Amino acid sequence: MSETSQPSPALEVHDLTVAYHKKPVLWGVDFEIPAGKLVGIIGPNGAGKSTLIKAAMGLLPLSSGWVEAFGRPLKEVRDRVGYVPQREEIDWDFPVNVMDVVLMGRYGKLGWLKRPGKADREIARACLEKVRMLPFADRQIANLSGGQQQRVFLARALAQESDLYFMDEPFAGVDAATEDAIIALLRELCSQGKTLFVVHHDLASVPDYFDWLVLLNLRLVASGPTSEVFTPEMLAKTYGGQLTVMTEVAEVLRRNEALAREESH
Amino acid sequence: MSEIIPPFHWHLFLTEPWSAWYLDTTLRVIAMAFCVSASCGLVGVYLILRRLALVGDAISHSVLPGIVLAALVAHTLTGPAIIIGAIVAGFVTTVLIESIDHHSRVKTDAAIGIVFSALFALGVVMVTMFAGDLHIDADCVLFGNLAEVATQPGMPPALIQAGSVLLATILLIGFFFKDLLVSAFDPTLARSLGIRARWIHYGLMAWLSVTVVSAFEAVGSIIVVAMLIIPGATALLLTDRLWKALVLTVIHAAASTVIGYHVGLWLDSNLPAAMVVAGLGLFVIAWLFSPSQGLLPRAIGRQRLRDRLEREKVEARETTEKAESR
Amino acid sequence: MAGLLLLGMLMAFPTLAQAARIGEVSEGNVLDRAIRFFSFRDPTVRIAVAGCVLLGLCCGLLGTFIVVRQFALVGDMLAHAVLPGIALGYLWTLSKQPLHLFLGAVGAGIIGAIVVSLIRQTTRLKRDTALGIVLGGFYGFGILLITLIQKLPGDKSGLKSFLFGSAAALSETDLGLIAVVSLVSLLILGLLFPQFRIASFDPTFATSVGIPSQAMHYLLMLLLAWAVVSALQAVGVVLVSALLVIPAATAYLLTDRLHRMAGLSMLFGMIAGAAGAFLSALQTGLPTGPFVVLSASALFVGAFLFAPNHGVVPRWSRQRHQSRKIRRENTLKAIFHLLENEGSDVAEGKVSHQALVDQRRRSPLLVDGEIAALVRHGLAESPDEQGRVTLTEAGRARAMEIVRNHRLWELFLTNAANIAPDHVHDDAEKIEHILGEDIVRELERSLDQPTEDPHGRVIPLAMEESGGSGI
Repeated sequence: MSETSQPSPALEVHDLTVAYHKKPVLWGVDFEIPAGKLVGIIGPNGAGKSTLIKAAMGLLPLSSGWVEAFGRPLKEVRDRVGYVPQREEIDWDFPVNVMDVVLMGRYGKLGWLKRPGKADREIARACLEKVRMLPFADRQIANLSGGQQQRVFLARALAQESDLYFMDEPFAGVDAATEDAIIALLRELCSQGKTLFVVHHDLASVPDYFDWLVLLNLRLVASGPTSEVFTPEMLAKTYGGQLTVMTEVAEVLRRNEALAREESH
Repeated sequence: MSEIIPPFHWHLFLTEPWSAWYLDTTLRVIAMAFCVSASCGLVGVYLILRRLALVGDAISHSVLPGIVLAALVAHTLTGPAIIIGAIVAGFVTTVLIESIDHHSRVKTDAAIGIVFSALFALGVVMVTMFAGDLHIDADCVLFGNLAEVATQPGMPPALIQAGSVLLATILLIGFFFKDLLVSAFDPTLARSLGIRARWIHYGLMAWLSVTVVSAFEAVGSIIVVAMLIIPGATALLLTDRLWKALVLTVIHAAASTVIGYHVGLWLDSNLPAAMVVAGLGLFVIAWLFSPSQGLLPRAIGRQRLRDRLEREKVEARETTEKAESR
Repeated sequence: MAGLLLLGMLMAFPTLAQAARIGEVSEGNVLDRAIRFFSFRDPTVRIAVAGCVLLGLCCGLLGTFIVVRQFALVGDMLAHAVLPGIALGYLWTLSKQPLHLFLGAVGAGIIGAIVVSLIRQTTRLKRDTALGIVLGGFYGFGILLITLIQKLPGDKSGLKSFLFGSAAALSETDLGLIAVVSLVSLLILGLLFPQFRIASFDPTFATSVGIPSQAMHYLLMLLLAWAVVSALQAVGVVLVSALLVIPAATAYLLTDRLHRMAGLSMLFGMIAGAAGAFLSALQTGLPTGPFVVLSASALFVGAFLFAPNHGVVPRWSRQRHQSRKIRRENTLKAIFHLLENEGSDVAEGKVSHQALVDQRRRSPLLVDGEIAALVRHGLAESPDEQGRVTLTEAGRARAMEIVRNHRLWELFLTNAANIAPDHVHDDAEKIEHILGEDIVRELERSLDQPTEDPHGRVIPLAMEESGGSGI
C-alpha cells in the first residue's frame, strides 16, 4: 500500500510491542486496515486480543511502536473512535438507566462543562431504535437480559458517531437472535464506510461475519482479507505453534520492565 | 431503663424548639448539621460508586495531622490555612495508599488501614504535645462542636463555611456531572473520550478532604464516616438513577438532621450521634421497604410466586386426576 | 444547649487531660523516666507493658488472617461497632463489670459482622459501603448511649478511656482478659492452623473437602471481636485496627509462608506494644495508643523500604545492578562488533579507544568509565599504552553469548513469529541481556541449531561448544 496512491488506512499499527501491561504481552504487531472493513480479531485465549484493542486505543503504555487512525495519531482523532467494552468490565448495579448509558456516547462530542441537549437525546433515541431497545429506555441496566445489555452498549457506540469502532467480544453471552441482529447492524455500519474492529472467538461464524481478519497469538500471525487468511495452515499457526518460548521470554521481560519502572517512578 | 430514657413530652421536644424563643438556636444548629451532612452525603455517593467508601473513612481520620500542622503555622483554627492543610493531608493519604499499593504486595485495604491509622496517631501525638499552642482538643476531634453555632452571636463563621462548601459541592457536581458519571461507570470509555480519569480521581479526593475538614469541626472525625456513607447508601437502595440518588441523599441528610435534632433534645444526648442514629434508622427502613430492592417487597414477591406455583401444581394434579378418573 | 455542650466536653476531655498515664507514675527528665521504666518498679508500668505486649502478640496473630484474606478493614469496623455493646454492657449492671462490658462488646461486634454480611447478600451495595455503614452507624449509636450513661450516677470513668485508650488505666482484670484472649487465640489458631490456612486461601475448596469455612469465618470474627474489645482499653477505638493490620502487613512483606508470617507478625506486634508503652512513659500526659501505632508504622516503613525481596531499596539496587550490567554488556558487544567487522580474532584483537567511542556514540569520558568497569569485572585487560583494549576469556565468552542471544532472538522473531526482519532489532537489544540458559537452549532447539541470523550474519557459538578457544 503506497502512501500516495491510496487514502490513508483506517488503522495502521506499526511494530507495536506491549510488555508493561499484565499478561498477555504483544510482540511487534504490524498491520494496516483499509477503511470500511468489518475486521475480526481472532486468536486463542490469552492471545492478547483485548490488549491489542486497548493498546490501539492508546489506553496502555507501549513498549515500542505507534498507532495511527486515518493517517493521524490517535490522540488527535479521538472523537472518530468508538468503543464497546467487554461485559465483565461493567458494574451492572450502577445507578444508570439505558438512556443514560447511550447518552454517554455523546459526551465526547460535548464541550467541557456542557450537558447533553435535545439534539443529543434525539440521536440517542434513534440509536436505541436501531437496536430495538427504545421501549427499554427507562430500565436500569441490571434489569436487562445479556443480549439486551449488549445492544445497549452497541447503541452507545452508535451514538458516538465514530468512523472507527473497537468492540470487545460483542457476541459474548448473547442469544442467537441478538447475534444475528448485531451482525446485521455491524454490516450496515460497514456499508456506510465505517471500520469495525471486533474481538471474536467463535471460529465457525468467522467466514460469514468478517471480510478482514487479524490472526493473533502474542504476535501477529496474519492480517488480510478473510478469503486469503482464513486457511487451515494459518489457523494451525494461530492456535498452535512455538509459544512456550515467547511466554517465557515475556515473563522474564516483564519482571525486568517492572524493575525498570520502579526506577522511573 | 427509665433512668436513662427521659419521658417524652410532645410539646417540649417537638413544638417548643420551633417557637419564637428557641427558633434561632434550632435553625442555626439544623442548618449547620444539614450543610455538613448533605455535602458529605453528596461526595459520599461518588465514593460508594467508585468503591472508595473506606478511603472516605481513611481521609476523615488522616486530615488530622494536616489540620494540626496548619494550625501551628497559621495560629488559627479556621479559614483557608486549615483547608489547605486538610487538602495536603488528604493528598498525602491518597498518594501514600497508592504507593504502598503499587510498590509492594500489600493490598489496597491493608494500605488504607496502615496509612490512616499512622497519620491519625501522628495527629493525636501532635495534639497532645502542642496542646498548649493550639486551641484544638480531643473533644473537637472526636465529637466536634456542633452546638457552638448556637451560642455565637451573629452569623457564625463555621456556618458560613459549611454553607459555602455545600453550595460549592452542588455546583461542582453540576459542572462535572458527566465526567464524574463516565469515569465512575466506565473508566475505559472515559479515557477513550479523553476525560482525564486521574484528574477526576484526585479532584474528588481533594474535595473529599475539604468536605471532611469542614464537617470535622462540627461533628468529629468518626461521625463524618457515617455522614459520608449512610445517606448515599440509603439513596442507592431507593433509585436506579444517579441524579435521583443525589436528590434523595440530600433529602436523607435533611430528614436525619431534623429527626436527629429532636431525638437528641429528647434524650439530651450528643447531637451528631443522634443524627447518625436517625440516618441509620432511615437506612434500615429503606433496606426493609424499598419498592425495588427492599427485603419485605422481595419476600412478598417470592411468597406470591411460590403460592402461584403451588396453586398451579394443585390445579395440574386435579386436571390429571380428573382425566384419569374419566 | 449549654448542657449538651458541657456533656460533650465532659465525655472526651478527660481522655487527654486527666486520665492516668504511664508517664504520670514519676516525675523528672526523660532519662530518669527511661531508667524508672526499665526498672519495672511500678505496678502500673508492669501491667501496661505486659498488656501492650500481649495485645501485640494476639492482634499480630489474628491480623495475619485478615490481611491475607483482604479483610483488613474488618478490624476497623469491629472496633467501632463494639461501642454500643460496651454501653449496653454497662447498662446491664450499671457498673463497669469487665465481664459484662466484654460480653456486650463481643455481642455487638458479632452483630456488626452479621449485618455487614446481610447488607452484602441482600442489597447491591458493595462490601466497603457495608463496612462503612456499620462502622459509622454503630459508632453513632454507641456515642448516643454513652452520652446517656454520662447522666447516671456511678463510676463510669473507664467508659471514656475506650475512645483514645490508656494503657496505664488497665486493671489487673483487664490484663487477665487480654491474657485469656491471647491464649485462646493462640490455641485455636495453632491447633486449627492447617484448616485456617485452607479456608483463608480458598474457601470454596475448603468447603468441598469438608472444612466448614463459613463457621470458621465467624469463629475468626468472634476472636477478632474479643481481641478488639480487649485492646480498646489500651489503644482506643480508632487505633485498634492498626494493631491488627500494621504488624501483619509488615510480616507480609518479609516472608512468603503463612506460618512465618504469623510468627513475625506476633513479634512485630510485641515490639510495637513494648516500644509504644516505653515512648509514652517518657513524658507526662502522652497517650499510649498512638505511640504503639507509630512504632508499628516505623517497623512497616522499615520493611517497605528494606525487605529483601519486596523492599523498595533492594529492588532499586537490583535495578541499578541490572542496568550497570546491561551497560557493561553493551560495551562488550561493541568491542565484539568492532572486531567482527575488522575480521580480526576476538581473542587477540585490540580495539582502540577512538573506535569504541565512535561505536558506542558516547563521550570519551563515559567510554573510559565503561572500559574501567570491564577491567574491574575481569572482562577486559587493562588498556595498553595506546589505550587499546583486549577482552579476557570471560569477556569474550560473555560477548559471544550476548551476540548469540541477540541473533537467536532475531531469528526466532522472524522465523517463528513472522515479524519483519527490520522490526526485530529493538526487541533483541533488550532481550539479549536477560535470556537465561534454559530459554536459549529452547530457542536453539526450536530453530534447529541455526548458524546465521536473518541479516545473514554468523551466530557465534557459545564458548564451551567451540572448545573454549574463541571463534
